[in-house]
Amino acid sequence: MASFERFDDMCDLRLKPKILRNLLSEYVPNEKQPLVDFQSLAKVVSTIATHKLLSESPSSSADQKKLQAKPAVDDWVERLLALVSSDMPDKCWVGVVLIGVTCRECSSDRFFSSYSVWFNCLLSHIKNPESSRIVLVASCTSVSDLLTRLSRFTNTKKEAVSHASKVVLPIIKLLEEDSSEALWESIVHLLSTIVILFPAAFHNSYDKVEAIIASKIFSAKTSSNMLKKFAHFLALLPKANKGDAGSWSLMMQKLLIAINVHLNNFFQGLEDETVGKKAIQRLAPPGKDSPLPLGGQDGALDDASWNSEQLIVSRVSALMFCSSTMLTSSYKSKLNVPVASLLSLVERVLAVNGSLPRSMSPFMTGIQQELVCAELPTLHSSALELLRATIKCIRSQLLPYAASVVRVVSSYFKKCSLPELRIKLYSITKTLLKSMGVGMAMQLANEAVSNASVDLEGFDAVSSKTPSLTNAAVLKGGSKKRKHASNSGAEAENSAVEVGVPHNHLLKIAALEALETLLTIGGALGSNGWRERVDKLLMTTVTNACEGRWANAETYHHLPNKSSTDLVEFKLAALHAFLASLVSPSPVRPAFLAEGLELFQRGKCQAEMKVAEFCAHALMSLEVVIHPRALPLDGLPSLSSQFPGSNSLASQKHSALGLNKMDRIAGDGSVLSNLWLANVDVPANSEIQRSIDTTLPLPEAKRLKVGNDLVGSENVQQGDAPMEVPESTKESLGHVSDRDYDVVPKEVVSETQEGEGLAGKDSLMEEAAVGKKHESLGESDDDSIPSLKADDYLSSASDIES
Amino acid sequence: MEETTVIASSSFDCGIGSWDLKTGNEQLRFKQCASPSHGLTAVGEKFLAASQLRNASGSSGSVFFWSWNKPQVEVRSFPVESITALTANSEGTYIVGGGASGDIFIWEVATGKLLKKWHAHYVSVTCLVFSGDDSLLVSGSQDGSVRVWSLIRLFDDQQRQHQERTLYEHKFDEHTMAVNDIVIDYGGCNALIVSASKDQTCKVWSLSQGKLLRSIIFPSKINALALDPGGSVFYAGGGDGNIYIGALNSKSDYATQFLGSVSDPSKAITCLAYCADGNLLISGSEGGVICVWNPRSGQPVRSFTFGHGKGPVNNIQVVRKTIVGNANKAQSSWKRNVSSLPPPLEKYERKGDDTMDGIVIVDPPLSSDVPVYSSYRSADLINEQVKELEQQGSAATEIEMERLKLEYKKSIQMNDQWQKNYENLLQVVMEEELNGGSN
Repeated sequence: MASFERFDDMCDLRLKPKILRNLLSEYVPNEKQPLVDFQSLAKVVSTIATHKLLSESPSSSADQKKLQAKPAVDDWVERLLALVSSDMPDKCWVGVVLIGVTCRECSSDRFFSSYSVWFNCLLSHIKNPESSRIVLVASCTSVSDLLTRLSRFTNTKKEAVSHASKVVLPIIKLLEEDSSEALWESIVHLLSTIVILFPAAFHNSYDKVEAIIASKIFSAKTSSNMLKKFAHFLALLPKANKGDAGSWSLMMQKLLIAINVHLNNFFQGLEDETVGKKAIQRLAPPGKDSPLPLGGQDGALDDASWNSEQLIVSRVSALMFCSSTMLTSSYKSKLNVPVASLLSLVERVLAVNGSLPRSMSPFMTGIQQELVCAELPTLHSSALELLRATIKCIRSQLLPYAASVVRVVSSYFKKCSLPELRIKLYSITKTLLKSMGVGMAMQLANEAVSNASVDLEGFDAVSSKTPSLTNAAVLKGGSKKRKHASNSGAEAENSAVEVGVPHNHLLKIAALEALETLLTIGGALGSNGWRERVDKLLMTTVTNACEGRWANAETYHHLPNKSSTDLVEFKLAALHAFLASLVSPSPVRPAFLAEGLELFQRGKCQAEMKVAEFCAHALMSLEVVIHPRALPLDGLPSLSSQFPGSNSLASQKHSALGLNKMDRIAGDGSVLSNLWLANVDVPANSEIQRSIDTTLPLPEAKRLKVGNDLVGSENVQQGDAPMEVPESTKESLGHVSDRDYDVVPKEVVSETQEGEGLAGKDSLMEEAAVGKKHESLGESDDDSIPSLKADDYLSSASDIES
Repeated sequence: MEETTVIASSSFDCGIGSWDLKTGNEQLRFKQCASPSHGLTAVGEKFLAASQLRNASGSSGSVFFWSWNKPQVEVRSFPVESITALTANSEGTYIVGGGASGDIFIWEVATGKLLKKWHAHYVSVTCLVFSGDDSLLVSGSQDGSVRVWSLIRLFDDQQRQHQERTLYEHKFDEHTMAVNDIVIDYGGCNALIVSASKDQTCKVWSLSQGKLLRSIIFPSKINALALDPGGSVFYAGGGDGNIYIGALNSKSDYATQFLGSVSDPSKAITCLAYCADGNLLISGSEGGVICVWNPRSGQPVRSFTFGHGKGPVNNIQVVRKTIVGNANKAQSSWKRNVSSLPPPLEKYERKGDDTMDGIVIVDPPLSSDVPVYSSYRSADLINEQVKELEQQGSAATEIEMERLKLEYKKSIQMNDQWQKNYENLLQVVMEEELNGGSN
């Protein structure tokens, strides 16, 4: 019977149960049938998602459909539950993962009525010590999906929290006992879900969770990927403890102490010992009770692995990552950010570059130093990340510390030559500029420019050519750079020509982005300093990046994907920065405007869509540069007017008429304006001052002044107007203006020569119309004006139509 | 959602009036406030702060705080001298006050700490304005000087000791009489600064070049300025009760446009504000009338009377407040945040170790009550695990197979060996047997 049934199209609702049944019988194993093909399972999931097979449309049109759809989903759920309770791990696994999918896809009624059954099924697997690992992993993930769905029902908050808290302890136990990373990963995912959605569920187990996570971070067996995941969860954990500021601060304090303690050990012999002592003292002042170490009393801080430099560094990096995440993730309460401690920690790490202070050298062996130096870049990279997170977190409130951050950044720029770290530095520069604005651009511009030119050119050629433009500080920095660059002079020159080396690309992209941000924020500040240099630098960079390569863009298709996208990214970054240099405000005309327009024009026709898209955007932005606009304001007359304009209202409201009149007197308009200008004696500032100081009531002078310069003030006497206007004009305008300011003369003269500018009436059509009207108006000039007004409007309309 | 509120105060004790700009309804009237011109400011969206005139004669000044939902003064602070100009940065994290002696004070709002105090002008400060990105401060003084300060540099004690540079970035001394108001446009690093003065001029300065671009002469002294952010024009409220329009790029030395005037021409315009949402200009006059204009048509849209028309209005500010969603919980937590006002402003800079305890209090974003979502992962997990299983089916088993094959070969060889041995042995035994038999 069913096989004869026809469907409307692929969206037919009756199709859904059919497909579902089909999937169920073909691909999903049952008690007897063994699981054959794993690949088919992915197909099942994607089909369900595409056709929304599990979403039962409640009370949709026909009963018949409903009757059919329901059983299909019922069958589905029954089958899953049967699978979940199967003894075979593979079938059980299929059941568990498909329940997770069902939690996402099924209708809310079905979810609401059966979620607790599902939850208990899954929980029993988690609690069962016999469960195979693959089932455990799947169960944790499915519970996480179930809770995610549950969090969207607002009326079950309490139940949801109690469900969530039931699962916390068992998974913590699992985390403690098991050592499989796959399982850890899904447990951490579940924990994160709970801490985000139901923080109250951690009520009783907060300390225990913290201790176990900390012990995992301190464990030597954790892989670096897992370390990051644990650290991320640890950063979220303070949300669980009532989410208040206190628990956040406590966690931050514990982290910073742990980091500093590790560093004290690691930096032995490399820095003054007092530095570490001071840092700890600041974090835990002697008077107050210091917090328990991270991970509770038995925190595993002092184990045998102290000797492994690599281990210490990976731990410290994880802890720093955790602090960075805490700083950047959003909290609902006020945070007390220990900025001074964070900054001094960063400074402390960056100050150690592996060189031995003279007094310390006898205490350290060459091998020790070698081991430390091998790990230092990782440590520095984490510290820079922490610095960036701090800036992002407190934004404008960095103000009191901003100057010292600038110093740290610029001194580290001078020391650091590793591309990876320099990329981080550029991104910090960008963050600083964006969060602190113009004031920061004033401080950081020279540093950013001289470093970017080193990285983009390999040597600071531009600054050496134009030493007069840069101040002493930059020159000093520049000369150092040149020395540094001369080491790798040949290599640098090569890299300027061949742009294939990937890491170099990333560094150049970072430098270009920093320059772009600098130009966006503070382009105008460099007008008598670094600006010319930057413009030139960007011009050469963009030429190198684009020229010759656009023609054969297709040749890159046979290259591995990675390097060709890198090239595109680099090209884009260069174009972005170049556009910024053309558009950024400057008192002089952009020097490379013509080249730029041509470049973008060519780029617009490129096959690479991203590049073409940006070039089109760039051309649009540059249009304003080549055709500067001074658009009239609607409602206000053009303000470039040099006339003592007037009550703008009248002219605006009756602009058609106004244009007429103006046209008429256009000839003598200029004369009038000259006359007026001649008449006015421009009182210099001091003159006004004097007149005010002496407070001489010079009524006449004042009245004259008022009459001349000022516009619409009521006390302007018509007689004072220093020009003669045709009687008729005055009369008619006076008549039509709603408000009875007698300031017509000045209005009449406003802007006639550039008449098109007025109120945007600039179409040729209209001008023609006005011209015609002008004649007709001339005849009826002496007649009654009201009729003329109406006439005028009518005629203008018809003129335009014709 | 946003709500636009107009707040206004007077030099008489009329409190602070607040109105909803859209509807024109009067909102809460905050009590006990008599502030100098430029003495009223909203601190971010958090609360209101106003400097008080009453104690001006005494040795110390006073600054009061009101929270948005209570009419009574909640926090009173008493700085060392009377504060003649008060402003806050847009996030509401710092309050800056200009004193009668020409000193400028900068306080951290969250803790009330006086972070910095410096001698900015020779005589009293009349107005203070933050640049668009809050990194620069522009101050105007009674003696006609205008100065631009970089806050980052002000805090940089170390650099200051090394370099013999002046504290300020720019100084503009061309005004001959007191500066009454300053506005700065949205030009970023290339912004234009307009200052209005008692000397009947408004002057336009370039921030990037640090020099006077043009000076525009008005028929009366200018008390207040407001900037049309998109129109390159500014509105100037004159002492003669008129509102004039000036152009930032004007070629003329004279103001040429006129918007309108308040009903009573003898009453000067004392303050102006511009609301970009709806393009409205709001003026306050000596007569106590607050008038909302449509600057395009030049018509007044509505007006509020303040202090029963007795006291002159001398401060107007447009405040945009975010109203957080309607969910009960969200609302209550927002209210909780807002009503908890910070401690009073401290009188003196802290000295010694105590200066910087290194803690910065960061407010949560107002939108943090938006429900959080986590993502579903089951589907991905299936793919991952299936892939894993497949890989085990391919690479791992292949290796295993090879190993087994090798072992199999070895065992077969071994088997052969044993078999050979056995056969040899058998042969030997058989031979022995045969030999024995024959024996």
